[in-house]
Amino acid sequence: MLYRTSGQFKTSYQADQALFPVRQDAFLLGIILILAWVVFPLTASEFTFQAILIPVLIFSLASLGLNILTGFAGQLSLGTGAFMGVGAYACYKMVTLMPWMNPIVAILLSGVFSAGVGVLFGIPSLRIKGFYLAIATLAAQFFLVWLFEKWAWLYNYNASGAIQVPNLDIFGLYVAGPLASSTTQYYVVLVVVTLLTLLCINLTRGNLGRTWKATRDMDIAAELIGINLLKSKLLAFAVSSYVVGVAGALYVFLWKGAAEPNVFDIPLSFQVLFIAIIGGLGSILGNYLGAILIVGLPVVLNLLPALLGIPIDSAMVEHLNIMIVGGLIVFFLIVEPHGLAQLWRLIREKLIIWPFPH
Amino acid sequence: MKHFTKLAAATLLAGVTAGAAVAQELYVPNLSYRTGPFAATGIPLMNGQADYMTMLNARDGGVGGAMLNFEECETGYSTEKGVECYEKTKGEAIVTQPWSTGITLQVLPKTNVDEIPILAPGYGFSPMANGKTFQWAFNAPAGYWDAADMIVQYLEGQGSLDGKKIAFLHLDHPYGKEPIPVLETLAEAKGFEMVPIPVGLKEMQNQSAQWLQIRRERPDYVVMWGWGAMNAGAITEAVKTKFPMENFIGVWWAGHDADLRIVGEDGKGYKSISWSFPNPDAPVMAAIKEHVVDTGKTKSNPEEMSGVFYSRGIIISAILAEGIAAAQAEYGTPEITAAQLRWGLENINMTEERISELGLDGMVPPFSTSCANHTGHSGGWMLEWDGEKFVKASDLLTANVAGYQDLIDEKAGEYAEANAPWPTNDSCDAMN
Repeated sequence: MLYRTSGQFKTSYQADQALFPVRQDAFLLGIILILAWVVFPLTASEFTFQAILIPVLIFSLASLGLNILTGFAGQLSLGTGAFMGVGAYACYKMVTLMPWMNPIVAILLSGVFSAGVGVLFGIPSLRIKGFYLAIATLAAQFFLVWLFEKWAWLYNYNASGAIQVPNLDIFGLYVAGPLASSTTQYYVVLVVVTLLTLLCINLTRGNLGRTWKATRDMDIAAELIGINLLKSKLLAFAVSSYVVGVAGALYVFLWKGAAEPNVFDIPLSFQVLFIAIIGGLGSILGNYLGAILIVGLPVVLNLLPALLGIPIDSAMVEHLNIMIVGGLIVFFLIVEPHGLAQLWRLIREKLIIWPFPH
Repeated sequence: MKHFTKLAAATLLAGVTAGAAVAQELYVPNLSYRTGPFAATGIPLMNGQADYMTMLNARDGGVGGAMLNFEECETGYSTEKGVECYEKTKGEAIVTQPWSTGITLQVLPKTNVDEIPILAPGYGFSPMANGKTFQWAFNAPAGYWDAADMIVQYLEGQGSLDGKKIAFLHLDHPYGKEPIPVLETLAEAKGFEMVPIPVGLKEMQNQSAQWLQIRRERPDYVVMWGWGAMNAGAITEAVKTKFPMENFIGVWWAGHDADLRIVGEDGKGYKSISWSFPNPDAPVMAAIKEHVVDTGKTKSNPEEMSGVFYSRGIIISAILAEGIAAAQAEYGTPEITAAQLRWGLENINMTEERISELGLDGMVPPFSTSCANHTGHSGGWMLEWDGEKFVKASDLLTANVAGYQDLIDEKAGEYAEANAPWPTNDSCDAMN
């Protein structure tokens, strides 16, 4: 009833190909955008910004990047963490070498470096596929983290070997570093994430997206219908690594404030991969749902006992948390192996034909 | 259902009464790590810290009449959880105890803005000793550079170091690299050769490559900056390769009883510099037994309580309590603020008399902090594993801080510059 699409006639091709052809979808998205742009910033506490909103957005973006490569183009990658690291270190070098640079420009440019590195490590994908490619990207993961540790120039010969985010401002307003307010940081993250999401939605719907999907579904067939696999795969690596690199720069500059090389190690790659898988491979919405489940939910669960007044140890809460989140992951994967996005898709379809299912 | 209602009512009641008791309370949270890869070393430290605070609450009703709310926020040593815990606690907390070098690095720049003191006893960034630059950070009673200097002093006491070779086995991580600048200067001054041997985070448990290198290099001494699983890995590997244990020395975080108990008698002679020592006869241990253990409020066990790490936890809490007491005396109120605690931590004076007043006899060397000196440079003892437990193998060693005071100031200056605008506390100069 709420989701009835009858009566919504499309009279032009343009209307039919709109981003959201169903009015209710656009309406729902509008509500979410109002929440994200107006309601949350007005009501959220600093803790909510720092522990939930900002990390969920950043991890969604990283997962979105990975999803382009794995979900849309079918190239399995285990090197996401390292590519995020490339973005973060590139951004660090840019803002320390050129302090006059606009930090948002620096963040957006840092993706270019990770795109380059991504393409380099994507070259083997022309010859090797599936799990074997995963191993090749794993090599990128090990190599790059090793490089972050050994190449002292990357962290400006800092004795501790870690990178620290300096105070960065745009026309006197601090956007990164300790002096930046959480609201500003949140808005910067939100702008970047919104822009890149819009870009990715359009890319995946267009010619390039179709090329990727053809490559994913059967690369020999794709080649036979005239798709240049070299171009298709390397572009997927480039776009994916770009988005992941920007996410990495945001991760350090607008959230953590400091990072040592080992934060970009495999656990980070896995975390992003899990978000993509649980959210749904080959979907855009899924990245957000996955990030809410994997990044946001544990934080909320941690708060519950204190809110309910249950006297329980923090370490115990952490143990319970791991079990509950793990259980939920298993549950969702059994209920819907194609991820949360597919779950939503089914719910939506049922809603559209409700109350008369076939 | 009835049972559930009762339970719910009971929790509600507990919540209400807990709310009422807040009247005079100081919130001193601890970012603990009882889970994750470093839990084995974390648990005794956390237990020691918590038990001392519980004891103070039970025996004296807190410090200066204010109860201490020593809540733990579990990070599992993860920097991401660290952000979460810091943000969660910072609203009401008067101190933050970050516990991991990574979390310390993240929190350090924020403290000037949030104005909460960081208490990082014996860890963190060594230049934090410079209180003029790092107004809000404290790493009393001793920093890593003190440790490096004391270890070299001790080795020099065994014979001239000229022409000797010292292998520096360290975790390839900000923490492990921390003492390198001081070791380099000392190597130049004393004429020994320092061979850094890094151990990657992934190689912690399997150090055969590193020990092969040590065998090839034939160093006179091995100095270790290890943490977590790396310590046990190195000690078992040293036993396996028959490295003479008496020439193997670790920093204070590499002196965990459980790591040595694995090798037992074979580990005899292994040394670790330390600013804390477990003294089972100290009055504080009896007080903890009476007020915490016997009332069933501890999570510890007798074996753990006799260890170095548990007693270090006690000392850490005692330093915090001293800071609180100093601030309360200065400002004449039991309910101090974060800024007042900062003053308190700057004015700790742990004399011999005060140490025995607190019942900590022989557990910590005397030290005092000041506005310009946030470390205190207490010095430490060289502890030696006798096959069953750690014993003191030296008199009190004190670090020759003058040798690297310039380095402290230089690195602090660099940090301030990189994080500009960084406010410094210029009133310190007048006081010194």
